[in-house]
Amino acid sequence: MSTLDAHAHHDEGSYLSGPPGMMARIWQWATTVDHKKIGVMYLFAVLTMFFIGGMAAMAVRYDLLDPIRTQTVETLNAAGDLETTTITTGESLKEIMSGLGMGSNLTESQIYNRTFTLHGAVMVFMFIVPSIPASLGNFFLPIMLGAKDVAFPRLNLMSWYIYVFGCLFGIMSILLGGVDTGWTFYTPYSTSTDADHWRVVLMVMAAFILGFSSILTGLNFVVTVHKLRAPGMGWFDMPLMIWALYATSIIQVLATPVIGITLLLLVFERLMHIGIFDPAMGGDPVLYQHFFWFYSHPVVYVMILPAMGIISEILAVHSRKHIFGYRAIAFSSLGIAGVSFLVWGHHIFTAMGELAAILFSGLTFLVAIPTAIKVFNWIATLYKGSIVINTSMCYALMFLFTFSIGGLTGLPLATLATDLHLHDSYYVVAHFHYVMMGGTVIAFMGGIHHWWPKMFGKMFNEKGAMLGMALVFIGFNVTFFTQFFLGTQGMPRRYANYVDEFQTLHEISTYGSWILLAGFLVHLVVFVVSLLAGKKAPANPWGGLTLEWECESPPIEHNFHHEPIVKHGPYDFETVVPPHCDPKEFPLPENGGNH
Amino acid sequence: MTMPTLASGQPDILQEMVFGKTPAASEAAAWSDGLFMMITWFSIFFFVLLMGLMVYFTIKYRRRPGVPAQPSPHHNTLLEIFWTVVPSSSMLVMFVLGFWGYSYKIVSPDNAMELRIQGMKWSWVATYPNGATSPETQALSKVVDTENNIVTQGKQYPIFYIPEDTDVKLSMMATDVIHSFWIPEFRTKMDVVPNRFTGYGFHTPKITPNDSYVHQETGEVMSGRDMWIFCAEYCGDDHSRMAATLRVVSREVYDQKMTEWGVQLSPIDAGEKIWKQVCASCHQIDGTKLVGPTWNSVANADGQFGYGYAAELTDGTTVMRDANYYRESILDPNAKIVKGFAPAMVSYQGILSDEDIDNVIAFIQSISDLDPNAGENTESTEESESQAEESAGSES
Repeated sequence: MSTLDAHAHHDEGSYLSGPPGMMARIWQWATTVDHKKIGVMYLFAVLTMFFIGGMAAMAVRYDLLDPIRTQTVETLNAAGDLETTTITTGESLKEIMSGLGMGSNLTESQIYNRTFTLHGAVMVFMFIVPSIPASLGNFFLPIMLGAKDVAFPRLNLMSWYIYVFGCLFGIMSILLGGVDTGWTFYTPYSTSTDADHWRVVLMVMAAFILGFSSILTGLNFVVTVHKLRAPGMGWFDMPLMIWALYATSIIQVLATPVIGITLLLLVFERLMHIGIFDPAMGGDPVLYQHFFWFYSHPVVYVMILPAMGIISEILAVHSRKHIFGYRAIAFSSLGIAGVSFLVWGHHIFTAMGELAAILFSGLTFLVAIPTAIKVFNWIATLYKGSIVINTSMCYALMFLFTFSIGGLTGLPLATLATDLHLHDSYYVVAHFHYVMMGGTVIAFMGGIHHWWPKMFGKMFNEKGAMLGMALVFIGFNVTFFTQFFLGTQGMPRRYANYVDEFQTLHEISTYGSWILLAGFLVHLVVFVVSLLAGKKAPANPWGGLTLEWECESPPIEHNFHHEPIVKHGPYDFETVVPPHCDPKEFPLPENGGNH
Repeated sequence: MTMPTLASGQPDILQEMVFGKTPAASEAAAWSDGLFMMITWFSIFFFVLLMGLMVYFTIKYRRRPGVPAQPSPHHNTLLEIFWTVVPSSSMLVMFVLGFWGYSYKIVSPDNAMELRIQGMKWSWVATYPNGATSPETQALSKVVDTENNIVTQGKQYPIFYIPEDTDVKLSMMATDVIHSFWIPEFRTKMDVVPNRFTGYGFHTPKITPNDSYVHQETGEVMSGRDMWIFCAEYCGDDHSRMAATLRVVSREVYDQKMTEWGVQLSPIDAGEKIWKQVCASCHQIDGTKLVGPTWNSVANADGQFGYGYAAELTDGTTVMRDANYYRESILDPNAKIVKGFAPAMVSYQGILSDEDIDNVIAFIQSISDLDPNAGENTESTEESESQAEESAGSES
């Protein structure tokens, strides 16, 4: 690189600066191929979907606080005759919905079923699958590799538009009246419900379209990791976040086409009455479940692996320790990605033969081992560290807490004898919320706080964020821990209504959801205040050693003024003074690096 | 098969918290509870250990200004092998025990009594070995306020009687979509799939002097044990109302019920029985609007429902509710949709026989105040009863 080029690069503004004029700015963002802008657009889009899915969750919990009960009452009137009247008790979700002008011709249960389907479909397809890879991954994967952009920047922009297009399909289906199939679209229910409507097809097509966005992002990341690493960065010099995103991308590229095919078959069956899954037309309904989970189980790891990557980064930086067992964590990411393709059957233990159930039970336990190893490694990383308690670190520690509960409560589900009881009960609901929400969402929150100063060049109010974190922690556990007990005591999932003995636990769970909501609202306020009036962020507020902390906050359009050359590992806190940092603030140990 | 003992006779406090007021009803269920508690204690041990270390490290090694982190090894092969082998071997134990418990729960002896279960939106029907089905139902939550003479009750659910201390084998099939037959107290469920038999077995408990239930009609406290049956696989609108009661009773009571139910019913009674089993989840007969129209009501804002009254349809036309209308509505439900309702019903072609449909229509007629057979009811009932006696006689 010539001096002239270097000089020219020095004049570049941050990626957030743009031409004057509102329309020009919008056009600049809408046509950008900059991975950072696309990452920010993804962040905004997925958080919008998180809000919609979250509101649906609040509605579900509100309904379950005191569901509608219709009862007949027999009374003796003054004349001594028996009078029969019908009374309705309970909080009415229907009233709220008709207040919003929706669902006036639906029963309470029908509204509930549409609401939980909305929650599931939005959260899975539109929020949690793209959440970390498409937003933080898009922003930081190229920078952490020392690259200017992803390998295929235009494809990257296309994947964002496909994502938005898919979301619009889903929202259209909701506005037309909603879908009541559950996010899993199990046949033959999904091929027969609402037979005179296009809504189910629209929602299925939304999931189909969103799949392409996922495949393109995955493809882009795989090529970027292979081809665009900075000089000096070998495979084992990559940050663990990159390993996690790499493993995720492989799953996205290999598994997503299967759901695409499955959903197309579903649409063919619905529209053209080709008998594939419907037994009335000679199909097999359980075949659908096999196809569906062949994608949807690996995709659980699309959701959790990037979260694990974030945790590795946060724990190392904020405890100033070399990650313990780097290779074990890197290989366990790949191991999880590999085994994840072999365990789909554990979602359908109650619908398959004995031999298959036994095989899948055994394989399922395999996937627990690399996960356990990661948790051990993370905790060992803290040993003899210099641990700072801030919002992102607290979220990382919270992740270890909730994710461990999520993992350990998976053991009785992999164990066949106990799964027969717990399957499709609230125990499962609690378990996967501990993994998905307590794992992915908590790590996502930690990651957003960790990288917020880098992304937007502004600091946030630490006390406000800590308050939000504490409310999320309490609210989350109150909401979902109770649900383990509901499940073991016999409460099935996807119930708009329940027998009286479950009421107390449901009430506690609903109150917890309000605390959880309060926590997220506090975070929202903190973020908005930071964007409007936040203190300018230094280039490296936490003393990180990965390449994103070498560029400015926010980064310039091409990320680096000079192509970086990697001379140290991502976690060599014992020997390297972090870039842009005061050595007094992040002192090195004497005699460091003797290992 | 002899099973290693996992369940202790006296469940501890944690076990009571976990399983609440639904004690395991069979040895296999108790065994699986024991396994669950074993895994839970294992999990609690490791969780407390890990979180303890995490909190201890976080406090002990909290950041002090100017103090660097102390170097420590970046990995330790022996330690890493240790914490790979320990969870792996523990999980091998869980897998094997889970496999044992699975066989224990699923497999039933060859001579087990077979109960056929039919799942449909949104009700369960159990058919006994002698071909009888249970006509008894009970309310979800019945509250009797004797002081004010008020009786409150929710939706009616079928009651399936089974004898105590007996091996039972379920043979299940669905008629429309996938359901799942869960008896929480036996700690087992299995999906009920259209066009395929699935099933599982269980050994019913012995009735102890503490086991009692309140009879749904007489209010009498009887000896026996009621358990919930829930549908655990999402199946649509009234999924959360697809429940039933499993009532374990003494052999004598069971035999008596079998004799009683084995007798052929009059068309109206048979129709009412089918209504309770199949139709009542969507069609009430007291004027309540559910997913489907009520079968009988006095005139109100929605119009008048019931046999002999005209129905206004969604396309604006009007049709008389007569026997042919009802027959068409059962076999081709979407042909005529009453105004104010969604086309939610599936066809009962192949599920209800022609005779069943006739009986249901007879029942619908009988509850309308425009019943064309009014006044002849007693006679026809007697007739069919005498026929039933005859046919019963000829069979034996």
